[in-house]
Amino acid sequence: MNKPYSNRAWLGLLPVVLIVGFSAVVPLMTVVNYSVQDILDMQTRSFVGFDWYRSILRDPELHGALWRQLQFSATVLAIELPLGILIAKGLTPANRATPALLILLATPLLVPWNVVGTVWQVYARPDIGLLGYAVNQLGITYNYTASGTAAWITLILMDVWHWTSLVALLAFAGLTAIPRPAYQAAALDGLGAWQTFRFVELPRLRGVLIIAVLLRLMDSLMIYTEPFVLTGGGPGNSTTLLSQYLATLAVGQFDLGPAAAFSVIYFLFILLLSWLFYSAVVSRDE
Amino acid sequence: MAAITIEALTFSYPGAAEPTLDALSLEIAAGEAHALLGGSGAGKTTLLNLLSGLLQPTGGTLRLGGRSLAGVAPGARRTAQVFQFPVLYDRLSLLDNLTMPLRARGVRRRPRNERGRAIATQLEFEALGMADLERMRPGVLSLYQKQLLAIGRALATPRLELLLLDEPLTAVQPSAKWRLRQTLKAVQAELGMTMVYVTHDQTEALTFADRVSVMRDGVILQSAPPRDLYERPAHTYVGHFIGSPGLNLIDAELVGETLVREDWRCPLPAALAQRCTPGPVQLGFRPEWAQVITGAAAERAADAALLPAAVAGATVQGRDASGDYGLLALSVPEPVRVQTALSRPLPQRALLHLTQLVLFQDDIQVGLFSGGES
Repeated sequence: MNKPYSNRAWLGLLPVVLIVGFSAVVPLMTVVNYSVQDILDMQTRSFVGFDWYRSILRDPELHGALWRQLQFSATVLAIELPLGILIAKGLTPANRATPALLILLATPLLVPWNVVGTVWQVYARPDIGLLGYAVNQLGITYNYTASGTAAWITLILMDVWHWTSLVALLAFAGLTAIPRPAYQAAALDGLGAWQTFRFVELPRLRGVLIIAVLLRLMDSLMIYTEPFVLTGGGPGNSTTLLSQYLATLAVGQFDLGPAAAFSVIYFLFILLLSWLFYSAVVSRDE
Repeated sequence: MAAITIEALTFSYPGAAEPTLDALSLEIAAGEAHALLGGSGAGKTTLLNLLSGLLQPTGGTLRLGGRSLAGVAPGARRTAQVFQFPVLYDRLSLLDNLTMPLRARGVRRRPRNERGRAIATQLEFEALGMADLERMRPGVLSLYQKQLLAIGRALATPRLELLLLDEPLTAVQPSAKWRLRQTLKAVQAELGMTMVYVTHDQTEALTFADRVSVMRDGVILQSAPPRDLYERPAHTYVGHFIGSPGLNLIDAELVGETLVREDWRCPLPAALAQRCTPGPVQLGFRPEWAQVITGAAAERAADAALLPAAVAGATVQGRDASGDYGLLALSVPEPVRVQTALSRPLPQRALLHLTQLVLFQDDIQVGLFSGGES
């Protein structure tokens, strides 16, 4: 069969090129543009090459934020993934309460992010917050506005509350898709509960867990609204994560050059981590 | 080597009005290959799952080699089961798949891998392109190879006494079925374990099993060697289910010691007649138990012992040493099918000389007799 060739067909791509151009390429290039120049106003500008990159990469504040960011992402993943699977294992599809539980589980996912921050801001307050007050009544000094550790724990708790459901729902969907004979064969092979999980369930949950890890990894690296509302990055810098620091640079101090350079690095960093994880997982399949 | 004793076994699924198995009793000898044959919904798989412990009986007892199986976990029954569609550990190697029953029971790597390799040799994995046991994963295997792997894993069960197979060949293409059946038989001859094989395919059951149980609606209608099922069916359903085509059934009335139809009568042996109650009976005969008499012979032999029949058609059925043989579709007026040589031209009317008959009353067999000399 001869395919008809016509270069006018390229015109058909025009809408897509325009939309992608305005929505993605132009904003991104603006950032790149700012990151290599020192712009004071529309007339006054100078090309500075990689100066902003150099200075931002040497910024100890950024190093601190990056380190906290990695700890934060690793911690929430390490908690949310097993906890989510555990919750999913506890749900039995045949139970009549399960649909109600699923709706309950999905609720945190529907709450707007700044509302999540506000909820925890109030909930964890030592004077009027239910959680904060109760913990202090137990004799444990807990004040997330004064103690960096307390703020860090509150931040982790908030993220776990907000996002474990996502892992649980994904894992539940994965578990319900496992055919009964797989469990029956395991029972006949004499597999115990842990071995059944390891050899029957975990391999079949692989697909959904990869998605869960990717979503949580990318999302936790980008987290901004909730900690901003909860602690504003404090006390001190104890809960300042990458996006929080970026906002301080760009909006607070109006250092557009370094902020732009940081944005580019930040973007590439998330891309790199996600790619590393994904290719590590996929390469094991070959 | 372990015999199975099933006594008054009853099972109902929760919420079901009728029991799936109803007071079922069966003895299976040690080392026997036993087939459970029946249509869907007969309770074959349920019985198998009760034997393996995947289901718990609602009543009755199960014993394997004299031990009661009540409350014994599936993994502790010295029983293995192969499912209709192969169930494997997809992310483990072939060897790890084979040795899973050993691994689950804490056998160390070296002895369990030795056993795995021995099974692979026994099932001739190498000849089937499954040589690389340590690196190959089940994903690359054909359905037949997968089922063979599942069987291999079942055989790895320590101290295996009973192998249960739930329609293991359904998913396998016909050419491979024969091969797998041969392998199973060879393995059984070697290991001597008891085998219970569920199928709805009579050829599979009859070629595989020492004895076959025909099931319907949760009840075993007959347990017998294949030949007996064919020649002396205990129930009209067995006669109908076994054989292709099944047993021909015609109605008659027992008056005194004589079978009576509108245009036919046949004296019964006295001993047999005493076992029946006068009234409606059913007569069964296999397609090859009737001789077709046509033409001049039929005119001459307007004898009461011969069953008059109208010819409705004929189909080529196969070819044997004497040439093509066909099945003559006749109307007596019940439709019956009779084996005949195809070389003869088709007459309009014929007489059937029945050489052998099975007598049923209320679907239960009451006796066999030959329909007289021709």
